[in-house]
Amino acid sequence: MSDRTERLLHIFIESFMPLLKAGLLFTVPLTLISFALGLALAIATALVRLSDFRALAELARFYVWIIRGTPLLVQLFIIFYGLPSIGITIDAFPAAVIGFTLSVGAYGSEIIRAAIISIPRGQWEAAYSLGQTRLTTLRRIILPQAARVSVPPLSNSFISLVKDTSLAATVTLTEMFRKGQEITATVYEPLLIYCEVALIYLMLCTVLSALQHRLERYYERYHAK
Amino acid sequence: MMLEVQNLTKSFGDASVLNGIDLQLEQGHVLVIIGPSGSGKSTLLRCLNVLETPTSGTIAIGAQRIRFEPGSKPKHAEVLLLRRQTGMVFQAYHLFPHMTALQNVMEGQITALRRTKTEAETRALSLLEKVGLTDKADAYPHQLSGGQQQRVGIARAMSIDPKLLLFDEPTSALDPELVREVLKVIRQLAAEGRTMIIVTHEMRFARDVADRIMLIDDGVIVEEGPPEQLFGSPRHERTRQFLSKLSENYN
Ligand SMILES: Nc1ncnc2c1ncn2[C@@H]1O[C@H](COP(=O)(O)OP(=O)(O)OP(=O)(O)O)[C@@H](O)[C@H]1O
Ligand SMILES: [Mg+2]
Repeated sequence: MSDRTERLLHIFIESFMPLLKAGLLFTVPLTLISFALGLALAIATALVRLSDFRALAELARFYVWIIRGTPLLVQLFIIFYGLPSIGITIDAFPAAVIGFTLSVGAYGSEIIRAAIISIPRGQWEAAYSLGQTRLTTLRRIILPQAARVSVPPLSNSFISLVKDTSLAATVTLTEMFRKGQEITATVYEPLLIYCEVALIYLMLCTVLSALQHRLERYYERYHAK
Repeated sequence: MMLEVQNLTKSFGDASVLNGIDLQLEQGHVLVIIGPSGSGKSTLLRCLNVLETPTSGTIAIGAQRIRFEPGSKPKHAEVLLLRRQTGMVFQAYHLFPHMTALQNVMEGQITALRRTKTEAETRALSLLEKVGLTDKADAYPHQLSGGQQQRVGIARAMSIDPKLLLFDEPTSALDPELVREVLKVIRQLAAEGRTMIIVTHEMRFARDVADRIMLIDDGVIVEEGPPEQLFGSPRHERTRQFLSKLSENYN
């Protein structure tokens, strides 16, 4: 083995644990927390937009419009670097959580809204004919079916989010990508380190895709093939 | 009277679909509604179940009565109470696909009637037995034939112990060989003295099962009477035309 290869291998092994640690400590929690909160926000936004409360529905539409029409990176900068100038200072991690949650909430609400609309009217009517209220029908009849329809597109959002969290590096959060930058700055092997970072993202996303597959299979139990 | 409908009208925008329907049904009687396509049969059933809000008129089922007036919305609580007096069987079944047959028949009992799971399950099993599907209790709708799905639909409609059962062309979506098993169940319910309103194009079945037949056209009741009279010696020209058209289609 040449000295060069040996050195690269050494750096690769030495940096693997710190990178993985940054991933498990920041990237993964940031993803999970933002997605969970974002999903709740998405469901609420979708329901509000489908409700009879005109003013609230308009507000929800406005929110989705803003978030979808502006870059996530710019949103993160506004939250982290912009808000302090009006006296609102938020730490890097919560700032990132807010940014990603708002993003998942906006895109997710469109997915969920479409899924709810796609459930045939007959399902509502069958539930109403049993004397169920609108809310009960939503909760027990419509949302479970909408969930099945939403799994593939929401999984997409989830996997995108894993990768998007690398943007948090720009607001000083030492998640996996920023850790990679830091390591690169000391060892001067950008190709190696960034490929290693990419590899760990790939591992995370592969695991998640497998989980998505199982979730889809679970929902198929009541669906004709 | 189990059911009393007075001067019921329904318009969709400018199009008036029901034009002053008066209707009475005694406990234990079976009313069959026939009429050309687009005459308002489904709309009438859907109004009785308040899936459509009538434009005006009164509907009374058992002790529950709602008066509808143009431009004013009925109270939601009253609508719920009225709905619980009726069970609806849909042409396209509309079973809940994410629930087993048993869960479909338990659902309304648990949510609308607030029965315990055990109570609901006992009742659901006895209803599934009545429609001959005990062995399919744990099957999901997509695993059942059309006829079996519709029988689950009937069990589900009965699960909230309605005073009145409504059937909107319950066999129209079925292959001919599956129609019989569903009609058999409905006949059996008639024999038990259930109060029912059935919209159907199955004339032999209608003649057998009905206490009264009603012909609707253009949102008005053209003629109404016992089956022998309506089929044997219809009084109105429009009834004669409708019946002869039907028999042409069959031959
Ligand atoms: N939601 C609606 N909006 C507008 N028009 C409607 C609506 N529902 C029904 N109609 C109209 O009302 C009329 C009666 O429809 P309905 O479904 O009650 O007829 P039907 O007698 O059940 O016919 P079929 O035998 O074909 O089932 C039709 O002209 C139909 O187009
Ligand atoms: Mg119809």
